[in-house]
Amino acid sequence: MASGDTLATFFPADNEPPATIYAVYDTRNAHPVLVFDGSTDWEAVFTAILPRNYAGGGLTVNCHVGFASATSGSGRLQADIERMDASSLDTDADSFTGSFQSVGVTAPGTAGQIVVGAITFTSGAQMDSLAAGEPFRLKIRRDADGTSGTDDITTNMHLFAVEIKET
Amino acid sequence: MALTTQQLFDIRSTYGQAVSQRKEVFALTKPQLDAALAAIDGWLDANAAAFNTALPVAARNGLTAAQKVELLYLIAKKRFG
Repeated sequence: MASGDTLATFFPADNEPPATIYAVYDTRNAHPVLVFDGSTDWEAVFTAILPRNYAGGGLTVNCHVGFASATSGSGRLQADIERMDASSLDTDADSFTGSFQSVGVTAPGTAGQIVVGAITFTSGAQMDSLAAGEPFRLKIRRDADGTSGTDDITTNMHLFAVEIKET
Repeated sequence: MALTTQQLFDIRSTYGQAVSQRKEVFALTKPQLDAALAAIDGWLDANAAAFNTALPVAARNGLTAAQKVELLYLIAKKRFG
C-alpha cells in the first residue's frame, strides 16, 4: 500500500462509546453525526484492523467535522491509538498511549459545511507501534477545554466521518 | 454574591447545548461568552437591592427570593425572549 491510500473509515454508528464523557449519536438533516460538547472534552472510540498491505509509514487521521451553530472560531481535535496485539494487551484495561496527537480546525462560514482536520501520527510509538494485521482502537476527542491549543467555539461539533490513511 | 467559576462554566455549557440544539448561528467565542456571563452576574449583584426596592411593599415582604427571581425571569423572557 502506498502513501496516501485509505486504510480504514469510521462513521458515527461505528462508535464504541467510553463509559463517560462520550460523544452522543444524533442526526443532522438525516446525516448521522456524533455530537461533541463545546465546554467539556467528549470522546468517541472506533475499532478496526490495520490492513495487511499497510507499508509501515505514519498515519493520518482525517476527521470530517462540522459545527452546530458556529460560523467562525477555532475547534480542536485529538486522537490516540491503542494497539491490541495478541498475547500482550489485557483488554480489561485501556492501553491508549495517553499522548494525544492534535490538530486545529477553523469553522466554515456556513454552519452546515464540513471541514477536515488532519491528525498525523509518526510510525512507531505515537501510534502505539501498531503493525499490519493487528486490531486497534482509535479514540477521537474534541479538546473543548483547549488543553492542546485553541478551541474557542462555544457550541457543539459534529463528527460525520473519520478516514485513516497512510501518510 | 457572585457565581463561582464552576457555576459560570455550567451555565456556559448548558447554554452552548441549547443554542446547538436550536441550530442558531452563534458568533461569540467561549472567552467572549464567559465575559458576558460574568458581566450579567455582576450587574445582578450590583442591582439586586434596587430591584427589591422597586417592588411594592406587599411583594417585597411577601415573596421569597426565588419567587421574585422567577417573576423577573418571566417578565424579561416575555419582553425580550
